[in-house]
Amino acid sequence: MEAATTVRRECRKCGTDAGPALVCPRCQTVQPLAPGADLFAVLGLPRGLALDAAGLERRYLAASRAVHPDRHQTASEVDRELSLAASAAVNRAYRTLRDPIARGRYWLELHGTGLADGGSSVPADVAADVFATQEKLEELRVATDAGERTELRHDVEGLRAGFAARLGGLRDGLVAAYAGREPGLDDLRRRLAEIAYLGTLLGDIDDAIGEGSDGTDRRH
Amino acid sequence: MAPIVGIDLGTTNSLVAVLEDGGPRVLPDPETGARLLPSAVAFQPDGTVVVGERARALEAVQPLDTILSVKRFMGLGFEHVTAEDRARYRFVEGAEGSVRFEAGGRAVTPPEVSAHVLRELKRRAEAVLGEAVTQAVITVPAYFNDSQRQATRDAGRLAGLEVLRLVNEPTAASLAYGLDKQDEGVVAVYDLGGGTFDISILRLHGGVFEVLATSGDTRLGGDDFDERLAGLVLADVDEAERSAPAVRAVARAVAERAKRGLSDAVGAEVVVTLPSGRTVRRTVGRDEFETLVRDLVERTAGPCRQALRDAGLRPEDVREVVAVGGSTRVPLVRRQIETIFHRPPLVDIDPDEVVALGAGIQAGILAGGRRDMLLLDVVPLSLGIETMGGVFTRLIDRNTTIPASVKETFTTAVDNQTSVDVHVLQGERELASDNRSLARFKIPIAQLPAGVPRLEVTFLIDANGILSVTATDLRTGRAHSVDVKPSYGLTEEEIERMLEESIDYAEEDVRQRQVREARVEADMILHATRDSLAREGTLLAEEESARIRAAVAALERAREGEDYVAMRDAVEALSQETEPFARRIMDRSLQEALANRRLEEL
Repeated sequence: MEAATTVRRECRKCGTDAGPALVCPRCQTVQPLAPGADLFAVLGLPRGLALDAAGLERRYLAASRAVHPDRHQTASEVDRELSLAASAAVNRAYRTLRDPIARGRYWLELHGTGLADGGSSVPADVAADVFATQEKLEELRVATDAGERTELRHDVEGLRAGFAARLGGLRDGLVAAYAGREPGLDDLRRRLAEIAYLGTLLGDIDDAIGEGSDGTDRRH
Repeated sequence: MAPIVGIDLGTTNSLVAVLEDGGPRVLPDPETGARLLPSAVAFQPDGTVVVGERARALEAVQPLDTILSVKRFMGLGFEHVTAEDRARYRFVEGAEGSVRFEAGGRAVTPPEVSAHVLRELKRRAEAVLGEAVTQAVITVPAYFNDSQRQATRDAGRLAGLEVLRLVNEPTAASLAYGLDKQDEGVVAVYDLGGGTFDISILRLHGGVFEVLATSGDTRLGGDDFDERLAGLVLADVDEAERSAPAVRAVARAVAERAKRGLSDAVGAEVVVTLPSGRTVRRTVGRDEFETLVRDLVERTAGPCRQALRDAGLRPEDVREVVAVGGSTRVPLVRRQIETIFHRPPLVDIDPDEVVALGAGIQAGILAGGRRDMLLLDVVPLSLGIETMGGVFTRLIDRNTTIPASVKETFTTAVDNQTSVDVHVLQGERELASDNRSLARFKIPIAQLPAGVPRLEVTFLIDANGILSVTATDLRTGRAHSVDVKPSYGLTEEEIERMLEESIDYAEEDVRQRQVREARVEADMILHATRDSLAREGTLLAEEESARIRAAVAALERAREGEDYVAMRDAVEALSQETEPFARRIMDRSLQEALANRRLEEL
């Protein structure tokens, strides 16, 4: 595969050098995406885990204004198709890069690896939490006594708050790691795996509490 | 350049607007000045199709042949038709499980019915603007799925309109609100119309309207309030009489008026005359009405919370809530909005017109007239495919900004397989069978041992929220075009055939149309008059009766001719003669005896 993207690309309409830009700087015609362009390149950003949220949003809005199909409605069919493809790529880039967790996962993907690779097993303390939580949720599921249910719900909500706080901490830690010396792939994978486990756990709790409260409401 | 119009194709009413130098403007009916066009279509046995106000009036006479709220059936399958729906219209199953109405002695699809409303709006716009209109932006509920959007686009095509964009109604409304203020911040749009509910949360920045999340219910609206109130009024009437479509139609119309009254007054009187001559009278207090519809109104809270959660926001983060749709005039609905968002809604712009005005602005954006504004909308429901064991595998999450695309690689499970089957669905449930099927298709593939072929399929949702699919054989690099025919949708051939048939409507000259309409009007008043004479003839003096009979005879003669002016004059003459009679009947509290005429005046 070619490593370098491109240095010089002529606008397919006016011949001006458009480089890696999404639209020709002179005539605003949408250009085909540069071959091999990653999501950073789509938004004109250097490849790197550290990203400033406000700057990213500015790039996204500017790119959207340039390529969105609403801006090319009166153009030829080819132009409209390119605008559609470029717009979808811009949206995907922003959705992936603005979220530190999705950005981290994409980083692994860019480096040819994934969360499940490298034999990272569930951290022991997380495994214990998962087990304890599932047990509580099961108790809540089968409990019929109103008093007992209230108590169990209270316990589960307590667990939930704890996990949510921990998830927030892990997320902050991830962002701090991006800003400092770029984390290695193994470190990144470990952090993201723990975040994924906690996320699933919170989802399970929300499902259980949601169903529980609906059932209770219906009975009264 | 010919103008692009913006159309709000509503459940109850529809409007057309354009963007002019001074801003967006709703185009009124050049004859009556009416801005709202009732989304009602009446199919006559002789092939005549009546649209709008006259069609709505016809509902009392021909309830089964007059389609109101067709929007509720757009993109639906026959299997989705409920018992309540069946009590209201006659349905037949079309090809591949699609829905057809049986009205005026023929089977019509929901897009065909909608096309009649669109054609009327097109005519209206052409009459006001003085030039041909061929391109439009049409609004749809944000929560409409792919099939419902495709059906709306088909309706546009059938009406001779190129649909340049489908815009979500709440998003369009936000354009109208955000036009003058270059606001920054988060805005919620709460849109409760005649048949659908939408909630959208948007962030405004520098002229860009970015939808963060949307949710809703495509079967919840003011029509449901009317239905409940009508049920209350008819509660004491025996089953057989109560369930007669004509009785229900009159009761709904009267209930709708009472509902409007209750937005300002604390009580309203509802009067319905039954075919037996018996009059049902009921006073409804606002409290009673609110108790009656409270659970419906409360059903809007769930989607609001869902949208906030998906946007990652709390109610306090929302700077402004905009109320859209006629049903937000109901005080209980406004209180519900305040409960959810902790602030009263903005109601600066007429909730009936704001969506059309926004559609007009979007039309202007597409024409290149408003380069300062840009709309970034989202897909309302997750899109995915059915995988092993009937599991729904999500490919594009709900609330992803559109256009959006995703690539998925497929291979074969057995040796020498000749094609790969793909089943695309939309929804949030874990099992494929619990979600809405959008399309099934086969992609041909070279015969090879299992697992060797590599087929890359790209799913693309465009700016209209509509899916298209392309496939590439990664081994050969050959691209396949994939024809995605939506489940329950119209095929290209069906559309072509309908277009051919509808040329009659498109090219029918104005005079012909006037004649048809005048004839329908004549039939309505003749029917009402004969009916009243038969029932209440004793109220008339000999001389009076003779004059009315003479006017009836004159109208009958005019009706046979082709002179629509003469027909209208005869209608007017008969109307004059029957007026004192009608007043006397009303005095006897038999207000619905001349149901047609009365309904028309509502």
